[in-house]
Amino acid sequence: MRIEKCYFCSGPVYPGHGVMFVRNDCKSFRFCRSKCHKNFKKKRNPRKTRWTKAFRKASGKELTVDNSLEFEKRRNIPVKYNRELWDKTVEAMKRVEEIKHKRQARFIMNRLKKGKQLEKEEAINEVKKNIHLIKAPHAGKAKKMEEKMVQKLQEDVDMGDEDD
Amino acid sequence: MALYNFKKIMVVPTAKDFIDITLSKTQRKTPTVIHKHYQIHRIRHFYMRKVKFTQQNYHDRLTQILTDFPKLDDIHPFYADLMNVLYDKDHYKLALGQINIAKNLIDNVAKDYVRLMKYGDSLYRCKQLKRAALGRMCTILKRQKSSLEYLEQVRQHLSRLPTIDPNTRTLLLCGYPNVGKSSFINKVTRADVDVQPYAFTTKSLFVGHMDYRYLRWQVVDTPGILDHPLEERNTIEMQAITALAHLRAAVLYVMDISEQCGHTLQEQLELFNSIRPLFANKPLIIVANKCDVKKINELSEENQACDWLLAHRVDTKMKGKKVHDVLNRLHLAMPAKRDDKERPPFIPEGALMRKKAMEVDAPKRKLEKDLEMELGDDYVLDLQKYWDLMNEDERHDKIPEVWEGHNIADYIDPDIMKKLEELENEEELKERAGEYDSDDESEDEEMQEIRVLAKQIREKKQLMVAKSKEKDVHGPRMPRTTTKVERKKLEKEMSDLGLDMNDKDESHYAQQARRSRSVAKKRKREASSAPPTSKTRSQSASRPPRDQSGLRDPKMAKKAKKMMKNSQKGMNRQGKKGESDRHVFDLKPKHLLAGKRKSGTTDRR
Repeated sequence: MRIEKCYFCSGPVYPGHGVMFVRNDCKSFRFCRSKCHKNFKKKRNPRKTRWTKAFRKASGKELTVDNSLEFEKRRNIPVKYNRELWDKTVEAMKRVEEIKHKRQARFIMNRLKKGKQLEKEEAINEVKKNIHLIKAPHAGKAKKMEEKMVQKLQEDVDMGDEDD
Repeated sequence: MALYNFKKIMVVPTAKDFIDITLSKTQRKTPTVIHKHYQIHRIRHFYMRKVKFTQQNYHDRLTQILTDFPKLDDIHPFYADLMNVLYDKDHYKLALGQINIAKNLIDNVAKDYVRLMKYGDSLYRCKQLKRAALGRMCTILKRQKSSLEYLEQVRQHLSRLPTIDPNTRTLLLCGYPNVGKSSFINKVTRADVDVQPYAFTTKSLFVGHMDYRYLRWQVVDTPGILDHPLEERNTIEMQAITALAHLRAAVLYVMDISEQCGHTLQEQLELFNSIRPLFANKPLIIVANKCDVKKINELSEENQACDWLLAHRVDTKMKGKKVHDVLNRLHLAMPAKRDDKERPPFIPEGALMRKKAMEVDAPKRKLEKDLEMELGDDYVLDLQKYWDLMNEDERHDKIPEVWEGHNIADYIDPDIMKKLEELENEEELKERAGEYDSDDESEDEEMQEIRVLAKQIREKKQLMVAKSKEKDVHGPRMPRTTTKVERKKLEKEMSDLGLDMNDKDESHYAQQARRSRSVAKKRKREASSAPPTSKTRSQSASRPPRDQSGLRDPKMAKKAKKMMKNSQKGMNRQGKKGESDRHVFDLKPKHLLAGKRKSGTTDRR
């Protein structure tokens, strides 16, 4: 039993699911569901169809080169069964998956950081340009002027007092 | 001389089929659509094509028949004679001649009608001509019905004739009917000829092949011959005679000494004498057959002169054939010994052992089948017990294949622990470098304020858009200055924006409002007494003229005037009355639409 990869969306094809198409040049294509199959028949390029993993990897939206991704690889030379090796492998697999998920998440977060920066700038711009919609430009000016005058008078008075 | 293959002669269709095939082919392979209004040359061409196509088809088919069937002069005289015997040379030649004539007639018909078609001046005429042409061709062919049938039968029979190579080593068996020629051939070759107790079981020639001294020999079995003169012989006997006459073979004259065939030895001897001329230049062996019934010793003296035993036939065979020619060219090479070293053939050990194992009946290991028999119902096929692993006790482990959507087989690697260690080291380094620290920098208060304000601005914008959509204005949009703005509304808006709107009675807008009210009231009071001041005068006094409204200073006024003049320049140059004047004085200017196109573009007209 093997969980195959769908040719179009790179999703898992469990046994008993999906369709396999074998072409005249002996190349076989597996599809996880009829959506992928129909897209393939329409000759769509999975690298250009936005929702597929192939697109995400090709356009740099997801982690592609990393050591943790080199562990899962289809090997052509079978290895003889050895209980110890199998046990170790299962344990290692779990750890590798953890690390892989962490790294993938980090990659995506880094990519989205730029968006946060842009958001900030946009907010600043917005406020600068359109503040007049919620606050009149010289809203508190009169009061300020008053306060200033009051302060000045106060100072003058103080000065006068001092002189005296 | 063309090479004929009797088995590959094309099927000769019956006249009816032939006509049907050709006509339907014409129907399918030539164009079918034609209308009266087409040009006459096209109509003529269309029908001529049909006539020519039909003629071509007939011609091709008939030519093929003529070439496929062998010309009696071109084939080996043995076959020519055989065919004459079987099919009558004259009839055959006549049939083929008729086909040839038919072919020529069809060609002529087509030629004539094509020539006539040139003078056809309407669709109807041409169509009738074509119909006539096709009709005549088909009639010609209908007349050949019997020839075609005959040729088809000849073909079928011809393809079933045994392939006797007249040039190779042959043995010919002849004699009275029922003497045992077919039994002999059955024994000696792989042929399977009918052997029955009645005479004339074999009705045609049969061939068998045998090997002798690494050479292939043909053995030809003939139907029995009776003793009457040549003219009275029937077709079956004639075949035998033909074979005798033309094949250069060793003749085996089979005699039945037990007289079980129904003819006495005397009669058989007489037959032998009568066909003796045919044996010229051919080695002859007289075979005394059925000697299990009657021993040769028991024969009377008269017949001993004719005895030869089968074992001696070898020599005559050798003498009569062209083997000598071949022997001159053959040479068997034997390598000469160069030293005394023994060089036995090399047989690999494995082959020797296998041979030994095959010979000796060694006790075989216990098979699964035996196990199954033993255990009966409890038997379970467990192939895992044959696995060749490093630890024997792991053989019956259940191997995991999948975990959480991943295939474990993809991760199996003898170096996996090493790789994992490296990965973990990398991970540690990364963590220490701070890659995984969360980025929740607390923003300073200013930024937070800005965010809040931005949010409020956005909400206000949405509100404004929604309000203007709600207005649902039917008709033209009037500028804002035509609508009256209420004081309360103005003060509310401004106070929402944060301005202080208390004590605004002395403000400009309030005063203006009062003034306009007072003017109206005064007018009412003085309505009866004095003529009222004109409406326009009173209005225009309160409103600045258009070219001064909105302009702060003379500099701005000058700029506004300049802008106005600028925007009018284009219209004035084109002589337009205003911005809505789109009248085109000359829709088709001659200089653009007349004349030849010399060198220039076609972008504009």
